[in-house]
Amino acid sequence: MLRKLLKYDLKWIYKELIVFYLLALTFSAIGRSLGLIQNSIVFSIASGVTIGIAVGMLLGSLVNCMLRLWSRFLKSLYKDEAYLTHTLPVEKKTVYTSKVITAIITLFTTVIVILACLAICFYSQANMQMLKESLEIVETTYNIDMIAVLFLMAIIILTELVFIVLLGYVGIIIGHRANKHKILYSVITGYVGYMITQIASLLVVFLFGILNPQVMNLISTTQMLDVDIIKYMLLGATGLYIVYNIIFYIIGKKQLEKGVNVE
Amino acid sequence: MELVECRNLCKNFENNQILKNINLTIPRGKIIGLLGKNGTGKTTLIKLINDLLTPTSGEVLINGKKPGIVSKKVIAYLPERTYLDKNMTVKQAINYFEEFYDNFDKQKAIELLKDLNLETDKKIAKMSKGMQEKLQLILVMSRQAQLYILDEPLGGVDPATRDYILDTILSNFSEGASVMISTHLIADIERILDEVIFIDQGEIVLTSSADELRNKEKASIDEIFRRNFKC
Repeated sequence: MLRKLLKYDLKWIYKELIVFYLLALTFSAIGRSLGLIQNSIVFSIASGVTIGIAVGMLLGSLVNCMLRLWSRFLKSLYKDEAYLTHTLPVEKKTVYTSKVITAIITLFTTVIVILACLAICFYSQANMQMLKESLEIVETTYNIDMIAVLFLMAIIILTELVFIVLLGYVGIIIGHRANKHKILYSVITGYVGYMITQIASLLVVFLFGILNPQVMNLISTTQMLDVDIIKYMLLGATGLYIVYNIIFYIIGKKQLEKGVNVE
Repeated sequence: MELVECRNLCKNFENNQILKNINLTIPRGKIIGLLGKNGTGKTTLIKLINDLLTPTSGEVLINGKKPGIVSKKVIAYLPERTYLDKNMTVKQAINYFEEFYDNFDKQKAIELLKDLNLETDKKIAKMSKGMQEKLQLILVMSRQAQLYILDEPLGGVDPATRDYILDTILSNFSEGASVMISTHLIADIERILDEVIFIDQGEIVLTSSADELRNKEKASIDEIFRRNFKC
């Protein structure tokens, strides 16, 4: 049943998202092609404008992806379509899991499309050489594998995006327990959840700071961190967001299993 | 074991008690009218049976078990609103039902749709509200369920469509199944009812066999209803 639900959820999200992807990729390609034409101010300006539009489309696809995920969640669990969703012979936790997996997949593809568009817009041997040299400087200065750091940062961005969507899901579930102002309560719940996790993150850093004075410098001074600490911080942030995602997945699932009140 | 059993069922919204201590059983193989004025708790009761609302207290049991996957397999529910994804075509809606409900008879649905001259490639969004409701009715009645719950199926439709809806219900529900029809348009359905449940202000005020009630009161169900619930 999860596979079937997933099929319909993904179809619904990608139906519009794919248009943003195609537009972003097309404008990136056009912008890049125009930029290849040498010695022309007009084409150079046109290239800049087109790449600007492509960047706009990329931001649009990210925002659109998150809004559509929340919209789908709200419509299929609490609006008219909920009358069908909740009467399907499927457990509520399966419905919820499908929404969470949909969020992970669609946000992942959105991040990939963003990277692909940036590559189309800006890839050149000179740019790659410049990037490589910059990374090498950082690598030799800090004795750190930059590819691993970039990879970690990509994971942090993805897990944070998934975390924000999950906060929205939990906010919607708890907010819709209220009899009135359900959307307002949903937004407040999501925001409160976000604040709690940020405070919890600071507390975690503080606790590590008690054990390690280098980490405490992050709170008590403005001095640069040691490179080893940066690595640990990145790993810690990744771990923390994964933990938050698991916690909010469980909270959402448990809350939904308590039952719903469809309008 | 009763098909549906409600035990001390209550539902509150804020301080409003919508359903008050409902104790009710729905037998097998009967057509039951859930009759009451607007806003008396009919839809709330139906939504509780269908797991769309959570009881404040008390419980609903379907075949002896709380609402869940098993109960949803045996209940075919037609709500009073259109619940299909309007971006789907008729064909996609049929496939959706076929994928999720083991007891959905696709062939039957296609034949019923043919009678309506409805193109299967047509988008639901482009159909009239009446046609969307007919499509939903066909999808629901094409399931081999143990209980069909139809919430206000006759609300806001013309007399010819009412006849179509009643005919579709009567000629398509599974043998041995029960049909629960919620309505305030009693005159239109009373001829098909085996049992009646009168609900008023969140309380069950009467449950009876339709024939027994008519004989006892020497009046039609519609007249009895009007007499008892005069404003």
